[in-house]
Amino acid sequence: MPQLMLQQVMSAVLEIIINKAVSLNINPNDELDALEQKTLAIKLAELPFPLCLTVNNNKILVTKLIERADCTITTSISTLRELKKGQQLTELIKQGCLDLVGDIKVAKHFASLAEKIDIDWQTELAKHIGDVATHQLDHLNNTIKEKVAFASGQIQADSVEYLVHEKRLVVTSSQISQFNQAVSAVELQTKQLENRVNQLVDRLSTHSIQTKG
Amino acid sequence: MSNQKNSHKDDNNATDDTTHFGYKTVAKDEKVSMVASVFHSVAAQYDVMNDLMSFGIHRLWKRFTIDASGVRPGNTVLDLAGGTGDLTAKFSQLVGREGKVILADINSSMLNVGRDKLRDLGLVQNIEYVQANAQYLPFEDNTFDIVTIAFGLRNVTDKDMALRSIYRVLKPGGRLLVLEFSKPEYELVNKAYDFYSFNILPKMGEIVAKDGGSYQYLAESIRMHPDQETLKTMMDDAGFEQTGYKNLTGGVVALHKGYKF
Repeated sequence: MPQLMLQQVMSAVLEIIINKAVSLNINPNDELDALEQKTLAIKLAELPFPLCLTVNNNKILVTKLIERADCTITTSISTLRELKKGQQLTELIKQGCLDLVGDIKVAKHFASLAEKIDIDWQTELAKHIGDVATHQLDHLNNTIKEKVAFASGQIQADSVEYLVHEKRLVVTSSQISQFNQAVSAVELQTKQLENRVNQLVDRLSTHSIQTKG
Repeated sequence: MSNQKNSHKDDNNATDDTTHFGYKTVAKDEKVSMVASVFHSVAAQYDVMNDLMSFGIHRLWKRFTIDASGVRPGNTVLDLAGGTGDLTAKFSQLVGREGKVILADINSSMLNVGRDKLRDLGLVQNIEYVQANAQYLPFEDNTFDIVTIAFGLRNVTDKDMALRSIYRVLKPGGRLLVLEFSKPEYELVNKAYDFYSFNILPKMGEIVAKDGGSYQYLAESIRMHPDQETLKTMMDDAGFEQTGYKNLTGGVVALHKGYKF
């Protein structure tokens, strides 16, 4: 089958996303100066190829040129999510969730850069659709958020109410089963009683015939 | 289609004084000017046409080439037949301030378009521009860590001579990467590719670049270019070692790599 070049597609998309995020960051990207011409290689358990991030002139290039890496991290996507703060790096290494080879400062700078990225979405959106539309969209967004939060709170409260109070009043299946068994027992006893009454009636009628005779 | 057959037939027709220009057999002296006129004509629309013709996949092929290059900070790279500088742009960022990239092309129009594009991108520090013929590279022996030639070798009049020239300018331990159209691995892909190349591509060239003829030449020159194994043998003959190739997009394009030790 023709090669899909998944690695190249992924690195191209990642490169665009990362550089866009860096360019929109409202915090100063000081870390990029310290990372000039440094390469961080990330080997993820979920991917069959490494992702290498090289900083050049405040831009980040994504390649698989692992031979030029200053620092190589071997980990998984879930651990990478936790790696938001530089100080967590050593903890994750101690826990065995992450393997690091090379200059730890490079990894710390990258982690710090990722942590500092904060994008003012409203300003960016206003550039494309205008201030008024952005305000209205933001208002709509807040209203929807509030309604969703209210609905979610209401559902949660109702659920708690049902589980704590109402669920206790509902007849359980074992109780129904027990009730059915009791009804069956009463039915049996009633039938036995009916038989005995019938027997007694028969005996009485036989006895009265013999007495008359 | 019988293009591959044509290729073999025309290979036999070429003599010491003649070579191919698409399916035509022309005098070697003529080819340079004929190829030059093609690229003078398409230079301005080259990038747009590349994106259109390959549906943007040429960017992935070039990315693959960069990934296979093993480039390091401080390296000296020659991007031969570099055209509008796609590879140069990436290499320039990867070699850093201590490194150097030379964008070389035989065609002044392509070189001008490339230079303007790279300067607009702010890439000025470590790039030099040289108008050069791949057969007679104007550089000292053992100069470059990496030489790349992407979609350029098929336009060179004497490919063997160009490969020897590249070998000469590479440092020991240096490597050559040839990214070029090649022979599709699968018959179905081959047929679809032929239909596209000879029916759609020239029309696209006519509409966008107002030059269907140049794109007819492009399609023909691709068919006349040596297939994967032949090019590998040519690299071996030029002195390269550990040569090999990787087919991309089913062999529509192949990346050949060889080392000088």
